[in-house]
Amino acid sequence: MDNEPNPFIEFAEKNGAYYADVFIRIQKSTLGFLHFNISALIGSFIWAALRANWTLFIIGFVIDLIALVNVSLYAKYEQAAIANAHKGFLVVRYEGWSQNHLITAIIVFIMGRILFAWLADRLYAAQYNKWRVNRDINSGFSLSRLTVVALVFALIVPLMIYRSSQFAPNERSCIRQDRAISAGESVLFKNRFDCFMIGEFPTLIWIDRPDKVTYPRDEKGNRTVLHTPPSENAPPVTLATYVADAVDNSIGYLTVFYGYFFDGITLFLRTMLNAISAVFVGTPWMITMGVLVLGAHKAAGPRVATFVGASLGYLAIFGFWQAAMDTLSLVMASSIICVVMGLPLGIWVGKSRRGRTFMTPVLDVMQTIPSFVYLLPAIAFFSIGKPPGILATVIFAMPPMVRLTALGLQQVPESTKEAALAFGANPRQLLTKVELPLALPSIMAGINQVVMMSLSMVVIAALIGAGGMGFIVAEALENTETGRGILAGLGIALLAMMIDKVVQKGSQRTNSKH
Amino acid sequence: MTVTMPTQENDVVVVQNVWKIFGERANEAMEAVRRDNLSKAEVLDKYGCVVGVRDVSISVAKGEIFCIMGLSGSGKSTLVRHINRLIEPTNGDILINGINVGDLDPEALREMRADKIGMVFQNMSLLPHRTVRDNIAFALELRGVDAFTRAELADKVIGLVSLQGYGDRYPSELSGGMQQRVGLARAMAANPDILLMDEPFSALDPLIRRGLQDEFLELSHSMKKTTLFITHDLDEAIRMGNRIAIMKDGEIVQIGTPEEIVTKPIDKYVSDFVAGISKLKLVFAHTVMEPIDAYIARSKTSLSTEKYPKAGPEDDLDALVTLVVDQEHPILIESNGKPIGIVTKDALLRAIKGES
Repeated sequence: MDNEPNPFIEFAEKNGAYYADVFIRIQKSTLGFLHFNISALIGSFIWAALRANWTLFIIGFVIDLIALVNVSLYAKYEQAAIANAHKGFLVVRYEGWSQNHLITAIIVFIMGRILFAWLADRLYAAQYNKWRVNRDINSGFSLSRLTVVALVFALIVPLMIYRSSQFAPNERSCIRQDRAISAGESVLFKNRFDCFMIGEFPTLIWIDRPDKVTYPRDEKGNRTVLHTPPSENAPPVTLATYVADAVDNSIGYLTVFYGYFFDGITLFLRTMLNAISAVFVGTPWMITMGVLVLGAHKAAGPRVATFVGASLGYLAIFGFWQAAMDTLSLVMASSIICVVMGLPLGIWVGKSRRGRTFMTPVLDVMQTIPSFVYLLPAIAFFSIGKPPGILATVIFAMPPMVRLTALGLQQVPESTKEAALAFGANPRQLLTKVELPLALPSIMAGINQVVMMSLSMVVIAALIGAGGMGFIVAEALENTETGRGILAGLGIALLAMMIDKVVQKGSQRTNSKH
Repeated sequence: MTVTMPTQENDVVVVQNVWKIFGERANEAMEAVRRDNLSKAEVLDKYGCVVGVRDVSISVAKGEIFCIMGLSGSGKSTLVRHINRLIEPTNGDILINGINVGDLDPEALREMRADKIGMVFQNMSLLPHRTVRDNIAFALELRGVDAFTRAELADKVIGLVSLQGYGDRYPSELSGGMQQRVGLARAMAANPDILLMDEPFSALDPLIRRGLQDEFLELSHSMKKTTLFITHDLDEAIRMGNRIAIMKDGEIVQIGTPEEIVTKPIDKYVSDFVAGISKLKLVFAHTVMEPIDAYIARSKTSLSTEKYPKAGPEDDLDALVTLVVDQEHPILIESNGKPIGIVTKDALLRAIKGES
């Protein structure tokens, strides 16, 4: 050997020659597929810790932990089988479970270790590559890292073993314990510990039951707020119940005293929807179909028109025509509202820093809440039917309009805006003559998104009585009419593809005109 | 260093002691600079602010083409954007036809930008969704000129920049050189007094660039627009400019005619710049000639000037070289028929080499 410091050995320190050989073989791609690291096979996560490879440490630790938990589950069910020896059917069940867990434990342990030993040198080589670039990355072999192992082990393993070897108490028995303690009775430490550590997350906060609020009419017929305090010995409630009650009360208050506001919105939505569905549903089907196909032809060309014709044919032949037109009206109404509200909001977000800071979290929340959660407030304020369906749809489908409008505006080159300013554009002219036209492709993409998301939400809104195609699917779900459900689902898919193709092709055509 | 120019009645654009410091603490930094005369690096270090323009004063006469020359980052684009107040100065004043641009309210400023100042950009910055004609008429449209007049005026300018027949095309259908013609036409459509040209030809091929330079010079001669022309190319500056200002690190290093810049560079920075420049078209007979009396005194011979080739004091070296080829005699420089100086072959060769 020459005196050149060998980086492989410098990196690996202990057993440097072995790792130098392995790394060189990996770099030359001559490492056999069945290469395993024997010390990793034996040492598992301890080996990984000594080598400071924390990825491998987690992999090895989790594998061994899974095996260990299965062993303790095996022990638990063995024990349970013995304890329930007088109930034959339970013994059979527990013995079956304990066997499964034992087999799982053995398989996970053996396969896991082999996998680990196979991964070990390969991932260790990756760590070496990173270390070559950044010498701050841990290298070498150090016994001091065993303290980390001990710490992790002490924090996680005992509790995991205890959790899997004991039967978790149910919530009710824990509440009973709480009451017993507050009544001054003594409770076994083990029961208390089980309730606290291995059951449901313990209820830490108990609050006095809030007043019951009602809104009776007084002698003049006006609504009043009446608070009824809870009875003397009513048990306290959890935080969740308390807050949920408060929310219910405020919604109740708003609907009772500001009902005209919500009624106004409902009226507006109903009027708008009536006008649109008068066109779609009220027109004889031949005319609607002809106009839709011709419109598709004009906007997106003959191929899309053929597709639209075929899809409409499917809907008509399978008896979904009225429902599909109903759905289309709902989509149309909510899309119009989304665009009308989303465009100015998008401009605000795109142009003002304050708008961006305010709207970004709001949009994030709107997009992450599961879609059918929107149905609840819609019902609470607007009861059931089509208007709340439209409203839930609008909330669900508006974010992409806002985001893509803002994105389009932000993508307008700074230099183009500067040129417009240099020729004396005022802010309004800058927006209407430069920014919005240049953002148009992005805005069109936003409209497409809005239409697609409206369609998917309108189907869900059938659950609160919005009707249309979604209603057929919901009905089929309730009565397990699988075939009919699938046919209706296909119809919805065709409807979606139809709209998507027309809007997309249409916007492509307008964009390519210059 | 402060370069102050005497301002005259007919100066269209006057920039007085303009400073631009970028950054959140610009005003603080400005105070400190005035107090302690900090350098660019010190300002960046102490206040986290970048000095874009440092105490610049220039004045541009009516009809003049004033070139601002500097490498990228020298602050030339920043300086020119102060003139139509796309950038607000941290300190200093800009006067256009005697009106202080900083005093204008937003509406008056927009009016001035639309009517008085046309601007051409390096990357054209045309509007892709508008036809060539609508692009050219953009400033007019912003001022609320009706569509018919707009089209008429735009077509006139289209003729000026030889884009006939392209009015109804979109910018993306045009080559780079043609797009920049549109940019030029757009700047001139509203018939402004002042043209701001921000490296207009830098992004073009050398051949097309040269063609456009010539065309612009021709247009400029006939239309007499006061022009601020930014470039990073000294050749271009010399070709285009009546005067040249050389900028470095936000400061003006030297202002002068192309000849002054080339023959009398003020420091090493400028002399390095002009080192490679051919003097043939820039240096004139009156600069290199020896006064006739001195020549007689030195040579101690009576002159038989009939055989001498003759030239005027405004002839450039290129013309003198042509005269002196195959000649034994030196050149006699005459002004209004009177001999005023002599240029010998030696003096000519030294001048071409750049020695004085």
